[in-house]
Amino acid sequence: MPLFEGLGSGGEKTAVVVDLGAAYTKCGFAGETGPRFIIPSEIKRAGSPEAVRVVQYNINTEELYSILKEFVHLLYFRHLLVNPRDRRVVIVESVLCPSHFRETLSRVFFKHFEVPSVLFAPSHLMSVMTLGIQSALVMDCGYTETLVLPESLERVPILSAWEALPMGGKAIHRDLQRGMKIQEARFNLDGSAERPAPPPDVEYPLDGQKILHVKGAIRDSVAEMLFEQDNEEKSIATLLLDTLVKCPIDTRKVLSENLVIIGGTSMLPGFLHRLLSEIRSLVEKPKYRDALATKSFRIHSPPAKPNCTAWLGGAIFGALQDILGSRSVSRDYYSETGRIPDWCCLSTPLPDSVYEAGKMPPPLMKRAFSTEK
Amino acid sequence: MATLLQPEKVLYLVRGEKKIRVPLSQLYFCRYCSELRSLECVSHEVDSHFCPSCLENMPSAEAKLKKNRCANCFDCPCCMHTLSTRATNIPAPLPDDPTKTTMKKAYYLACGFCRWTSRDVGMADKSVASGGWQEPENPHTQRINKLIEYYQQLAQREKLERDRKKLARRRPFMPQAFSTHVVLQRQRSGAPIIALYGLSLKEGEDQKEITIESAQALDEVEPLPEDYYTRPVNLPEVTTLRQRLLQPDFQPAGASQLHPRHKHLLMKRSLRCRKCEHNLSKPEFNPTSIKFKIQLVAVSYIPEVRIMSIPNLRHLKESQVLLTLTNPVENITHVSLYTCEEGDPDDINSTAKVLVPSKELVLAGKDAAAEYDELAEPQGFQDDPDVVAFRKSNKIGFFIKVIPQREEGDVTVAFKLRHDFRNLAAPIRPTEEGEATSEAIWLTHHVELSLGPLAT
Repeated sequence: MPLFEGLGSGGEKTAVVVDLGAAYTKCGFAGETGPRFIIPSEIKRAGSPEAVRVVQYNINTEELYSILKEFVHLLYFRHLLVNPRDRRVVIVESVLCPSHFRETLSRVFFKHFEVPSVLFAPSHLMSVMTLGIQSALVMDCGYTETLVLPESLERVPILSAWEALPMGGKAIHRDLQRGMKIQEARFNLDGSAERPAPPPDVEYPLDGQKILHVKGAIRDSVAEMLFEQDNEEKSIATLLLDTLVKCPIDTRKVLSENLVIIGGTSMLPGFLHRLLSEIRSLVEKPKYRDALATKSFRIHSPPAKPNCTAWLGGAIFGALQDILGSRSVSRDYYSETGRIPDWCCLSTPLPDSVYEAGKMPPPLMKRAFSTEK
Repeated sequence: MATLLQPEKVLYLVRGEKKIRVPLSQLYFCRYCSELRSLECVSHEVDSHFCPSCLENMPSAEAKLKKNRCANCFDCPCCMHTLSTRATNIPAPLPDDPTKTTMKKAYYLACGFCRWTSRDVGMADKSVASGGWQEPENPHTQRINKLIEYYQQLAQREKLERDRKKLARRRPFMPQAFSTHVVLQRQRSGAPIIALYGLSLKEGEDQKEITIESAQALDEVEPLPEDYYTRPVNLPEVTTLRQRLLQPDFQPAGASQLHPRHKHLLMKRSLRCRKCEHNLSKPEFNPTSIKFKIQLVAVSYIPEVRIMSIPNLRHLKESQVLLTLTNPVENITHVSLYTCEEGDPDDINSTAKVLVPSKELVLAGKDAAAEYDELAEPQGFQDDPDVVAFRKSNKIGFFIKVIPQREEGDVTVAFKLRHDFRNLAAPIRPTEEGEATSEAIWLTHHVELSLGPLAT
């Protein structure tokens, strides 16, 4: 146990850290080395035989509210076994999460469960916290989409340089279900375009009565779609390079040598190696050769599995009780304003400490949106 | 869920944040607010923890220490069933005389459902029945603890700075981008950490400086093993996603690395009214006891309406439906029924007109000894035979007239039930001798009955 945790050590109880993903939710307590539970993000309702997904962005507020309420109830009373009223909450979320979802989630936490405070932490930033470095290029290969966001110098995300692609576990599932098109696997390692013999077939028993025959050719080619370039010539590998191109020129070398890959889809065996090879081969292409001077790419290995890295970052931050309170949205603030501050919303008032009389610092905006290369 | 009593047919309206219609058996009654409460409008709290297999109560401090896991029971990593400890005799050399061997007991864990044993993953047999089994530790624990200490130090520094110089410029030590009050583009990146090192020493703080090595990035990662393309898949050896995710720290891909985990605890919940903060339901500590210390359920305070028989319902024809009313309290209760007025905002579901008895119905108190008393004394109530069909201790059966208004669909009626409630929990006031025990207040509930489809 970390030094600062303990029974009756004074101060508050440890915060609850939740990472609500589209496919799986990681939940646990701050200061611990791993989530207590990784559960699928769905709830079972009495009416329908299929489970209902929790993370849906297109349904109306009332329905979403009741689904989220039931899910958070399960989290607290079946998995975490604590009182919601006693502990602060850290929610690790994606930067691209719609405001409507965040608002509903915070309403569930504040109005129904009456938590003392809530902190929304971006998942990319949290992953960098697990490494102890200053800058990194973080790629999150999740279920619905892959999102790349660079963090540089004091861990400020360069928000303008984000890139995303709706390619993730969901796309692979969809392809498998459609019983797909077998694609040509491209192995650029040694330049030869020959395809090795497909791996052996697998007979997978389902439910004790049916057997699913999976052809060997499907096994290796279905993950190809992550790396296949679509009409816009975008694939997961090009996302990284496009992000680098968008970043300020002085940060590029640092970023390219500090790649961090998180997310459940990146746990496919051989994924990292393939990704690195793709990047290295794409860098030679004319599109990137002139734009990027840096050719060295290095990958970090965070002290947690890739699907828990963002959670771990949130847990590390949640253990810092000195500042957790000042950075969270408290229940009083929420009941006064009724809204959660959002990074994309300009109507949120700034705290006084940022404005110094006569000493306006150069805004980061200038560097991030700079068109100078 | 199908039940003999079909409680879903009679719904009571709860006026909480949202209006919810729920059978009376699922409701609670707050004696202090004198209102019905449903599960949605009470706050739930964790009361006590217990292990579902050994049914041992665990105090919350111990539960927190053990991370909400039982010390004695294990879960099978394959099928999540509870593991049982089995003993075998193995020959082992005597400590004094190495040549002679004696039978010693050795214990291993086995699953009765899927036949998994602890020997499958290579765990050695233990010589003690319980307490010998350890869960493997996360290899990254040390690094993570160091990181936390390092960040704790930065956070402390930032807090000191902030507290000391509230009005001066703040140098943020910690990552900037959080969705608190600031828009990111307007922030400035603070000075690098190294400059702060100098800052703190200058100010005479002599804390031990904790530095950590930043993580090293790797140039090369492990490629996919070559034999992925040639080796046939050994399906029993591959773990399912569910088995993997049960052990978040390790998530092993091979079944030979699946170690058993301690069983997760369950908890007992207590419910509290949000308005008056009184407990509505508080279970006993003892996990084997199903009783409650406090049990303010609605069925023990509010008269319950049940449907007894429904005749054939025809469109626009008046029919008589037989209902029963049960009195749960021990004193006499007076109940009157009213039809919903036109434009009643609660009355949204009814598809038929209903005529309820206009006279007040009197219910006898619930007498626990009455059921053993063969000779039921006449209760001396004058009942109108048009209204009251029968009377039996604390229950009466009465008629209502229903006129379905729609040609198709289910027939639903609604009415208001008004009864008197004696609050025995009133605060103790100095009462004079001979005064009535407590005041009666009149409560009104909105009841909806669903009588089923029209007869063809």
